[in-house]
Amino acid sequence: MSEGSEARDAVGDYKAGWHDPENSTIRFDFGLSEKVVRDISQIKNEPEWMTEIRVKAYRHFVERPMPTWGNTKELMEIDFDKVCYFLKSSEGIGSSWDDVPEDIRNTFDRLGIPEAEQKWLSGVTTQYESETVYHSIREDLEKQGVIFLDMDSGLREHEDIVKKYFGSVIPYSDNKFSALNTAVWSGGSFIYVPKGVHVEMPVQAYFRINAKNMGQFERTLIIADEGSSIHYVEGCTAPTYSTDSLHSAVVELLALPGAHIRYTTVQNWSNNVYNLVTKRGVAHENAKIEWVDGNIGSKLTMKYPAVILKGEGSHAEVISVAYAGSGQHQDAGAKVHHMASNTTSNILSKSISKDGGRGSYRGMAKVMPKAENCRMNIVCDALILDEESRTDTYPTMEIANSTAHCEHEASVSKVGDEQLFYLMSRGHTEAEALGMIVNGFFEPFTRELPMEYAVELNKLMSLEMEGSIG
Amino acid sequence: MNPDSVYLSSEMPDRADHLWRYTPWRKAHPTGNVREIPDAVSTPKIVLKTIDGSSLPEGISLVHEQTEFDDLPNEEIITKSFLQSVTKNSKFTLSVIPKFKSTTPIVVDIQTEGNYCATHLCLEIGRLAEFELVTVIRGECKWFGMMRTGSTGEGSVCNDVFVNKLSKGVTLRVESISIPRDSQFKSGTVSSGSTLTKADLRYRMFGPGGSLNVLGSILSAGEMSLDHHIEIYHDSPETFSRLDWNSACGGSSKTVGTGMLRVSKGSAGADAAQLFSNLLLSSDAQADSIPELEVSEHDVVGCGHGTASGPVDENQMFYLGSRGMSPSESKSTLIAAFLNSTLSEMGGDLMHGWLISELEDDLNELGD
Repeated sequence: MSEGSEARDAVGDYKAGWHDPENSTIRFDFGLSEKVVRDISQIKNEPEWMTEIRVKAYRHFVERPMPTWGNTKELMEIDFDKVCYFLKSSEGIGSSWDDVPEDIRNTFDRLGIPEAEQKWLSGVTTQYESETVYHSIREDLEKQGVIFLDMDSGLREHEDIVKKYFGSVIPYSDNKFSALNTAVWSGGSFIYVPKGVHVEMPVQAYFRINAKNMGQFERTLIIADEGSSIHYVEGCTAPTYSTDSLHSAVVELLALPGAHIRYTTVQNWSNNVYNLVTKRGVAHENAKIEWVDGNIGSKLTMKYPAVILKGEGSHAEVISVAYAGSGQHQDAGAKVHHMASNTTSNILSKSISKDGGRGSYRGMAKVMPKAENCRMNIVCDALILDEESRTDTYPTMEIANSTAHCEHEASVSKVGDEQLFYLMSRGHTEAEALGMIVNGFFEPFTRELPMEYAVELNKLMSLEMEGSIG
Repeated sequence: MNPDSVYLSSEMPDRADHLWRYTPWRKAHPTGNVREIPDAVSTPKIVLKTIDGSSLPEGISLVHEQTEFDDLPNEEIITKSFLQSVTKNSKFTLSVIPKFKSTTPIVVDIQTEGNYCATHLCLEIGRLAEFELVTVIRGECKWFGMMRTGSTGEGSVCNDVFVNKLSKGVTLRVESISIPRDSQFKSGTVSSGSTLTKADLRYRMFGPGGSLNVLGSILSAGEMSLDHHIEIYHDSPETFSRLDWNSACGGSSKTVGTGMLRVSKGSAGADAAQLFSNLLLSSDAQADSIPELEVSEHDVVGCGHGTASGPVDENQMFYLGSRGMSPSESKSTLIAAFLNSTLSEMGGDLMHGWLISELEDDLNELGD
């Protein structure tokens, strides 16, 4: 069987599973070493302090053992020596789609990015393999002082800000994969929203892995200054190969007093991608951070968006949905640390397991001793659609202040026969009825998405549900 | 294999393990030196009697000998092999004949001896037996180890309550109980003693129609640290389980409630729920809850868990105050009501009245 037909067969219903011929300008050999780390830094012509952080992070990564929790079996199968840690496919960053190499432009055309940009976005950045290939921001936002750059340009043009905040929310020593990301990071977004500026329309980042055995390690840093607001949307896809790729991002958010950051993710990696991501935000006085996190694709996702409620009156909101199909394990969840008084948080997690997939919620909710009058509410719902699938819930609540009001509830159920019967009595087929029930189950997530994403997600879920019954 | 060799050749548990996260094995070990199995572990005095002092009915007996028991899946090797080592001369079997019936609760009264004291109690409950059992621990030892293993009989109905009244020290408690077809087992824990408690309670329903109710009324005051881990396995169709765990924490004490509910593939019709409730009574008290759930069967009636933590309700305090009660009386009343919601479910009226009388002094202390 040719590689092309093998890939086509593997793609199945996954619409983004095609791949383009690889036209790299720089491609590193497989494997990770201190030399690879230094070479990445040198190619990017980075300041010395960043090279040093990378090297320290690399050493930490080597010394630190793999996590002993989560899907340890899958984690142990990752061969870090069979990953390409840097691959550059374009000479520069285009500010017009005409500047982007034709094959890469075609890829993003097929994914509908330029069309979406014209209709409803304030800015777009697209990353192909290790580096950003296209970047734009609306002029009026630029005039208001909004900085929206890829992370490499951010480091070059605003070194002082990056130096101050880089790793301040997620240090490289946080976990093995944050160390890996810090060592070999490339691409990602750097956003600074000045005091009082509200970015009305979302800005979007799109991440695409094209090559086989590729590692993508973008780094995102968003700083919303006092009283400002921004909505950041990211999407990601990759081709379907018989070998595995690795995506290990780090996202740091800083919401300064009164600021509001909403970070939306629609993760649709192909089923051969390990998605091991660390996301965390710090909310200062009266600030608000929202993670709207959808996990549809990947082989193994381990992602627990976190909020540190550092300032009094701050608020965290996490809406997380996961779909675990055949061969997938979605280990997702949320973490909230109430460090200050009068802070509040809501976590809503929903997962569907089907065709032998495994959906897990893993969470940590903590109230510190000095944090008075905190409120926290966590709800986890899981649907299991067939006898091969599995769902787990691993919540942790540590309450060290007697004035806290904390609640957690979780339920696991199957699709109700009476719901199916009712919808079928109204003329729907079984598959349509199931698709509607599933879309309704995910509705708290989809209603928070920009319209275009919500429509696509509903279509995707309806497709996934075909053939689920009978 | 000899339990000494099993223990000494085992790798010591990591704090990354769910079971050992909050109370490491070093703290629950009698000497703190985890590579040591102490020699001087005494056997407690154990008396079998009825709760009201009436004569013991025929058909129930306690003998100083060991009965073979089946291990449950995924058991913690460290605590089990350690307790097997230190209870070699302290093995008892509680035998209950088939169709045994008693309306008066039976008490297994355990009086600890010496600095270190341990016992292994094996339950052998005959089919269709119906009775209530209270196991109460008293004394002043520095460390007490208790292992209970065994099985309930098919179709049996057993309300079982464990009461910890030790004045101080460390309690290590391990339970592995199998619940067969159509057996109803209610397992209550009343804990108001020991400075540190580490409990690992595991129950497995392996026959259709098995039913389990796990209840906890936990009072922690002063500098107590009470860590209870409860694992429930649904390994058969049409099984039912409920876990209601109420903890009231005062002083600078800490309670930990970790639960693992596993519904294995093929356990169609399983109905399982867990609820951990924590009442925080002082600014230095801490309550941690981790109710975990692993479901591998899609055709379940329902599986869920919940946890809630909060202070004493101000409105309720105000109401009781308006009825003439002092703040201290109001608080004691509300704590008692909170703990009584699980305590009252543990057994019949006789048992309930006895439990209340055992807890009265401790409740008044928390209200202050």
